[in-house]
Amino acid sequence: MQLTRPRTDVRPRGDVGSPAVEVTDLRRRYGDVEAVRGISFEVHPGEVFALLGVNGAGKTSALEVLEGLAPASGGTVRVLGADPVADRAAVRPHLGVLLQSSGLPADLTVRETVRLWGATLTGARPEDEALAQVDLTGRADVRVRSLSGGERRRLDLTLALLGSPRVVVLDEPTTGLDPESRRTVWGLVRRRVAEGAAVVLTTHHLEEAEELADRIAVMRAGRIVLSGTAAEIAATQPATIRFTMPAGAPALPAVPGAEVVTAAPRVVLHTRALQPVLTRLLAWADAHGLELGGLQARAASLEQAFLAVADGADPS
Amino acid sequence: MTTLTAPAAAPTRLRRTLALAGAETRLLLRNRTAVVNSVLLPLLLVAFVPVAGLGGDGPVGPRIAVAAFAVTLVFLTYYNLVTTYVARREELVLQRMRSGELTPGEVLLGTATPTLLVTVAQVLLVLAGTAVIGEWSAPADVVLPLVALVGGMVLMTLLAAASTSFTRTAESAQITTLPLVVLASVTSGVVVPLASFPDQVAQAMRLTPIEPIVELARLGLVGQTWDGRSVDWAGAWAAAPQPLLVLAAWIAVAAVVAPRVFRWAPRR
Repeated sequence: MQLTRPRTDVRPRGDVGSPAVEVTDLRRRYGDVEAVRGISFEVHPGEVFALLGVNGAGKTSALEVLEGLAPASGGTVRVLGADPVADRAAVRPHLGVLLQSSGLPADLTVRETVRLWGATLTGARPEDEALAQVDLTGRADVRVRSLSGGERRRLDLTLALLGSPRVVVLDEPTTGLDPESRRTVWGLVRRRVAEGAAVVLTTHHLEEAEELADRIAVMRAGRIVLSGTAAEIAATQPATIRFTMPAGAPALPAVPGAEVVTAAPRVVLHTRALQPVLTRLLAWADAHGLELGGLQARAASLEQAFLAVADGADPS
Repeated sequence: MTTLTAPAAAPTRLRRTLALAGAETRLLLRNRTAVVNSVLLPLLLVAFVPVAGLGGDGPVGPRIAVAAFAVTLVFLTYYNLVTTYVARREELVLQRMRSGELTPGEVLLGTATPTLLVTVAQVLLVLAGTAVIGEWSAPADVVLPLVALVGGMVLMTLLAAASTSFTRTAESAQITTLPLVVLASVTSGVVVPLASFPDQVAQAMRLTPIEPIVELARLGLVGQTWDGRSVDWAGAWAAAPQPLLVLAAWIAVAAVVAPRVFRWAPRR
């Protein structure tokens, strides 16, 4: 399968001032294993950037450097112009982090947990507001131990956003959440972005990336192999035309720009020029008085593009 | 350029640490077994004296207090902190706590605070208890025992942090803390007086981590050197430089090693 040459630099559209997050040729090595092999991207205020990839692609390893929890083995990371490890004290008051897996003391109540975290932050928002935002007001006096997985994740998220951070890093924010909770989370993220925050998130839900992210990068084996908007990434894959050829129809002529994936009677065509190919196909069917059964024509989805590259072999 | 501006009303180091320490203390108080044990252990230690018919020449209180220093620092401070740090690490709480504005040192200190408070409370309980049973005598010096207690708590906290690197679960702390427990029992001079060892062996034992704490406490509380000579205030200070230096050296070594080997998250 032929892909357009993937972009490995990720630049935002237009000039929107200086980036809130700048990652340049970031590398992370554990012993002999290089988990992150030179990735670069920028995220601007008011923008959501999603990192996709299968487990082990290096997403969390990359985020840990942004979060200031681990130093880079190579390259540079700047959060609001500063190094998140070396300039930790300057960066942290502006950074909100949701770890992929994280724990909270099991025997504190929800309210005590929010109060504890708020007391350690610069300019924490009021407890009640923070609880209401994630629908935990009614659970304020329940111990963390007794919360469901989804409630715990929502509590964790409200802690991440408690200091109204200008840069938000969310590692799989909605994994394990029910659809309603997921929408609550999306609403919270959108509101923070509307207030000017830059958000970097990872997710396994492609519809979440499509829903939230302004730009997306797909990582594979420590590298960014594909990036752009959801539409741009989807466009790296051909569109698909499907139909069932009626009995007794003449053979399908060669259509320039279309590749026959499955022959008659259940025809599947791939094309990068959907409209002209479809026009010719319909004109041919019309000329022969044919009705193409179950005709479908659709552009590639983000999921299709993701599946085509995410699980492939190391591109090097 | 998007830049960093000084944020308004940032919490101070102290306020951040106290916030975590307060939450951790609340967690301790919710654990009734732990609270009862904390009070019971020192009271049993004191009650043991009349029951066992100890005593003899002079009040036995100060000697009990010296033993309490060692016992509390090793069995409570060190053991509890290894368990607590490992439990918090395996529950992913440590990683969560250091993902915000709390610095790594503040997370470790805040988490240790309840244990350190109980350490001080236990030592005070033993001192008060020996007074109650009429075995108290005025110390030769109070600064040296204070230095021993504070230095001991710093050293135990650092050694506990270092020990978490070879402790996978809170339960396995029962085994991984044994080396220090055994070393302290043999070499601290609490169980077996150092004077009963050959001189070279005794001198080597004086270089182990717990012995200088016991030696300083004994100089101040009992007015006695490691080899059993009675001293006054001036004599106590004259004998203090070596244990002070050894304790400081252990703290320095532990302060270098602990941050290098400490892991914030479970092994994946």
